[in-house]
Amino acid sequence: MAANNKQNYYELYRRSSVGEALTDTLEELLMNQYISSSLYQKILSQFDKSINEALSNTVKSKTTFKGNLHTYRFCDNVWTFILDNASFKTDGVEVKVKRVKIVACDANVQDQPPAK
Amino acid sequence: MSSQTTTTTTTTSSASVPTVGASTSSTPAQNVDLSKHPSGIIPTLQNIVSTVNMATELDLKAIALGARNAEYNPKRFAAVIMRIREPKTTALIFKSGKMVCTGAKSEDASKYAARKYARIIQKLDFPARFTDFKIQNIVGSCDVKFPIKLELLHNAHTSFTNYEPEIFPGLIYKMIQPKVVLLIFVSGKIVLTGAKVREEIYEAFENIYPVLTAFKKNMAIANQ
Repeated sequence: MAANNKQNYYELYRRSSVGEALTDTLEELLMNQYISSSLYQKILSQFDKSINEALSNTVKSKTTFKGNLHTYRFCDNVWTFILDNASFKTDGVEVKVKRVKIVACDANVQDQPPAK
Repeated sequence: MSSQTTTTTTTTSSASVPTVGASTSSTPAQNVDLSKHPSGIIPTLQNIVSTVNMATELDLKAIALGARNAEYNPKRFAAVIMRIREPKTTALIFKSGKMVCTGAKSEDASKYAARKYARIIQKLDFPARFTDFKIQNIVGSCDVKFPIKLELLHNAHTSFTNYEPEIFPGLIYKMIQPKVVLLIFVSGKIVLTGAKVREEIYEAFENIYPVLTAFKKNMAIANQ
């Protein structure tokens, strides 16, 4: 999608809460013809770039998690894990969940377009 | 709930169960067939490697995506690495339909695991068959429970041994009949590998056992 850009960024953060809020708003603006579809695309790819950079450069907090590995998969450079009875710890706050799916992509995207 | 009472009864009853852990070790146990194992020690099988030919070309990427617990990284290795929990094994699955199954603790478990992998491949709509199953290697280990003078053993059996403690602390003993390699450690722990059938492991151990007793390290205690 991000055709003429120098670098490809993962589009997966579009499905985070900020990303979804942005997408919803942009879609609304597009429907009401306040913005063009090219601007719509441009903003979203700028979002991909910004969130990727922000997460790697400005976010300092760390999360650790553990659980029982139910299933794993590695294909196309993407790890997929399904954990049972997982617990996530962020700044001393612990969140427990019965089952969680983790999709992990390589942060250093080289030649491949983002895997979906 | 009433479940609390049931839990307490089960815990008290389990207290009478005799020691469990001891049964797995290769000690001169009570019921060893001494005609087969004159040393009184039966080496424990630790790993079985087997191969099987599923006789069909495979799409490894489809397998990696369709099956659970699979890894496929063609840049690193040209096979899908798949694991199952029972029997706890790892399989390498190649494009040619050939498969290597490792990690089983017995021949039957290895075959059973290989069949399970072949089933998984079949369920992904490949016409997988189960041909040419073969045990390729058997590894066993045991503990003679006395220290061994490796240096002297090496000097006495030079044509079979390789002992370079600066490189590897164990003595490598290449037995010719049966064709089994033994790793012998000062501690008296022995690893036997290279066998195709478990009898070769047993035979190799019975062959080496008198040699080991001859090179027993004299300890202050228990000297007979």
